Amino acid sequence: MNRASLHFLLAALVAIALPLFMRSGTLASEVLIFAMAAAACNLLLGYTGLLSFGQGIFFGLGSYAAGLTLLHTSLPLGVALALAAIAGAVVATGVGWLSIRRQGVYFVMLTLAFSQFFYFLAYTFKDITGGDNGLLNIPRTAIGPFSLGDSWAYYAFVALLFLIVFAALQRVASSTFGRTLLAVRDNEERARAIGFPVRNFKITAFAISGAVTGLAGALHALLIGVAPLSNIEYHMSESILIMTIIGGSGNLFASVLGAGFYVIVSDLLSSIWPRWLLLLGGLLIVVALFMQKGLWGLIERLVDALPMGRRSPIESPIQPESEGRGI
Amino acid sequence: MSTQAPILAAEKLGVRYGSFLALSDVTLSIKSNTIHSVIGPNGAGKTTLFHALTGRVRASSGRITLNGQDITHVSDDRRVPLGIARSFQVTSLFQNLSVRENLRLAAQGRSPLQALAPWRGVDPGGHALAVADEVMERLELTHVSDRAAGELSHGQQRRLEVGMAVAAKPRLILLDEPTSGMGIDDVEAMKALIRDLGRDHTVLFIEHNMGIVMNISDTVTVMRAGRVLVEGPPAVVRDDPEVRRAYLGNMITGDLA
Repeated sequence: MNRASLHFLLAALVAIALPLFMRSGTLASEVLIFAMAAAACNLLLGYTGLLSFGQGIFFGLGSYAAGLTLLHTSLPLGVALALAAIAGAVVATGVGWLSIRRQGVYFVMLTLAFSQFFYFLAYTFKDITGGDNGLLNIPRTAIGPFSLGDSWAYYAFVALLFLIVFAALQRVASSTFGRTLLAVRDNEERARAIGFPVRNFKITAFAISGAVTGLAGALHALLIGVAPLSNIEYHMSESILIMTIIGGSGNLFASVLGAGFYVIVSDLLSSIWPRWLLLLGGLLIVVALFMQKGLWGLIERLVDALPMGRRSPIESPIQPESEGRGI
Repeated sequence: MSTQAPILAAEKLGVRYGSFLALSDVTLSIKSNTIHSVIGPNGAGKTTLFHALTGRVRASSGRITLNGQDITHVSDDRRVPLGIARSFQVTSLFQNLSVRENLRLAAQGRSPLQALAPWRGVDPGGHALAVADEVMERLELTHVSDRAAGELSHGQQRRLEVGMAVAAKPRLILLDEPTSGMGIDDVEAMKALIRDLGRDHTVLFIEHNMGIVMNISDTVTVMRAGRVLVEGPPAVVRDDPEVRRAYLGNMITGDLA
């Protein structure tokens, strides 16, 4: 079995296992929703080498786009989700197009600035977004004959979309496009010298990432029935990035691990101690210092330590690595 | 040979970095299917000339034509599909990717827009991989095809650096000091390779090793302080008094004739 099918199988196992081990369908859905957002973030961070603080913009816009569609029109839920993905893709294209004009720290600062800009836009236009209160009472309409009212029914719907999105992202990552992104990450100057219009590749990566993140934001708004202002806040970008980094930027399944870990641990800790974010910060420091390949790297090491450890070294060079270079 | 139309021509080319004039009034004509070398002391503007010809640096003045087509304002990546490919003086590879993947990417760079399709397989027709295999064979890198480029020895990395340009199947190939930092045995192999490349491509190369320059070039351009000092066949250039003065008479010791 090749690596991609193995990872897809693992993702499917996660989707099947969550209902067996979790009591709340809402929390389980949240895991998969953020898994999509983190995997989309990984396409930029792990594959293209772009540390984007703009992910919260796309997530929040997805929430608003789906919420507004369902509140003000009678369009079906599927259309609302599609519009959210399109909104995410369009805005990500714009943010990407402007931000990649600069590299390294300046690129990061630009995405950060856009993040603040869109947050204040959402805050200012209270009539549309509900401002501080968020966009309330978003209906979770049925899909054809299937009602999504029950939290586990909704989970099943989210899980299906998650697997489709995960497979699509895997396809993108292993396509000639994805392989070129790895080359851009490795040596942008050389990529340009052998003929690749590097900027178009980065913008396309942004668009794909934005579409998936917008979809995730829409699913999140439907999950809680609200498109809160916090979905477009800077903190959302940060959370998505932290999930991606904790999981490891080496492959897409690592992001699923990162999202699962973040969502579940946050839930556990927040019920015990209101200052739980402090612990999460500590964990991030440990990951940055000692486990740069994240949770996935940790698992890899454990598998290697087993007597059956069977990973071939030749496979690894094609993988993006999460060494601290190439912001 | 002199009756052939030039494949690449530069007219009064100038490049300015801030107030520093790195290149001024360089007029150059590269004839098709020749091996053309550029020599000159450090800081003469050789690499800047390469940057300008490949589009990495914008020309501040003058114009560049490729087969008669004006490419002065064509960006560097777009010049590759037009048939120009280069190697760098300081090795510039995809260090974390395998040798084969490096060359596959370089071959794919000829039709880069195909690679923008996120649903397209890595190399459906197998063309790019076939080119990669062919180039590895030619450069004796087949036995390390699956190794990451960053793990290769210096000599192998320099060969792969040249291979990156070859894999694009260019009409004009620009090599920036292909032998830099190489051991004696590797230098001989590189000399044979450049001569061999001259059969299928037009080669323009920068080189400090006068043994190679005088031996395999059809034309030599000597640069100094951002200008062309002399240009001509190796024998003429070697005996030129100006060149002898520029080099203090002690560098040109090629084993020609």
